[in-house]
Amino acid sequence: MSNEAALIEAARNGSATAFTSLVFSYRDGLFRFLLTRTSSFADAEDALQDTLINAYRYLNSYDSRWRFSTWLYRIAINNAAKLKSAGTEELGDLHDEENDPLAHCIAASERENLWQCARRQLSDEVYAAMWLRYVEDMSVNDISAVLERSVSWTKVNLLRGRKTLDVELNKTATDHKSKAYG
Amino acid sequence: MDKLALQLREDAEKINAGISAELDARLAASLHGVKPESVRRPQRESKSFSFWWASSLTGVAAAALIIVVANLRTPEPVPVAAGTTPAPLVLPSIEWNIKSAVLTSPLEQEIDNLQSDLKKAEEVVKQDIDRLF
Repeated sequence: MSNEAALIEAARNGSATAFTSLVFSYRDGLFRFLLTRTSSFADAEDALQDTLINAYRYLNSYDSRWRFSTWLYRIAINNAAKLKSAGTEELGDLHDEENDPLAHCIAASERENLWQCARRQLSDEVYAAMWLRYVEDMSVNDISAVLERSVSWTKVNLLRGRKTLDVELNKTATDHKSKAYG
Repeated sequence: MDKLALQLREDAEKINAGISAELDARLAASLHGVKPESVRRPQRESKSFSFWWASSLTGVAAAALIIVVANLRTPEPVPVAAGTTPAPLVLPSIEWNIKSAVLTSPLEQEIDNLQSDLKKAEEVVKQDIDRLF
């Protein structure tokens, strides 16, 4: 039995300490992800807390055929969506630099952070697919399980997301060159 | 890993958001008040022996009743049809004066071009998807 499987088993038997150790390595990644999906730090913190509580409460429904992170991200996405539908987020906030929590977490640089750009250009689901693929290194199958979409939908939308961000990346590179050459 | 994937990873690392000590304490406190719920499987109620006995008897009685009723009924006489046969229906012949549409060569050419464009596009998309994933 792997270490993760042993921790899952212990947590299923009611050990909160085992659960805390189990999710420890995923917390930072989850928080960063939720921060990009919510309109404030407080919302991201609430979403993380709800995600971990739900994961612990319903740990018995976790199917070990899937990776634990896949299941955790599925819950996180649901919680972020719940916050949105509860009306705690206003649509305009996400694109407002002053209110955007992501803008406060990124040091000023010459080039705009691609994830800020992605949030403006991509839909929530495509954004999540891109994050899971390029930050969390998830396979296409895992991403389709997290998003509850087909594998082909996931592939096509990853490709679309890539194309959109490629254009942005090339645009920035061109701007830099033109500035450099006056 | 290609340029975009590298850039995305780098930019994600630039998002400087860690879990504060307060949030850590809050998470730990909230977890200690929770217990994992056991998975509840719907249990089938077991039926008593008398239920099965009563339902079997009802079934047998109903079948016996149907057999008795079917055997007691006398067959009704079937009315004999008169010996006249209906005259065959004669449909008036209609002279169809329709010419089949013939595609002119420019249109056929256009379809061929479109189909080949479609094939090329499909191949490009497949190649892109295969290359990436």
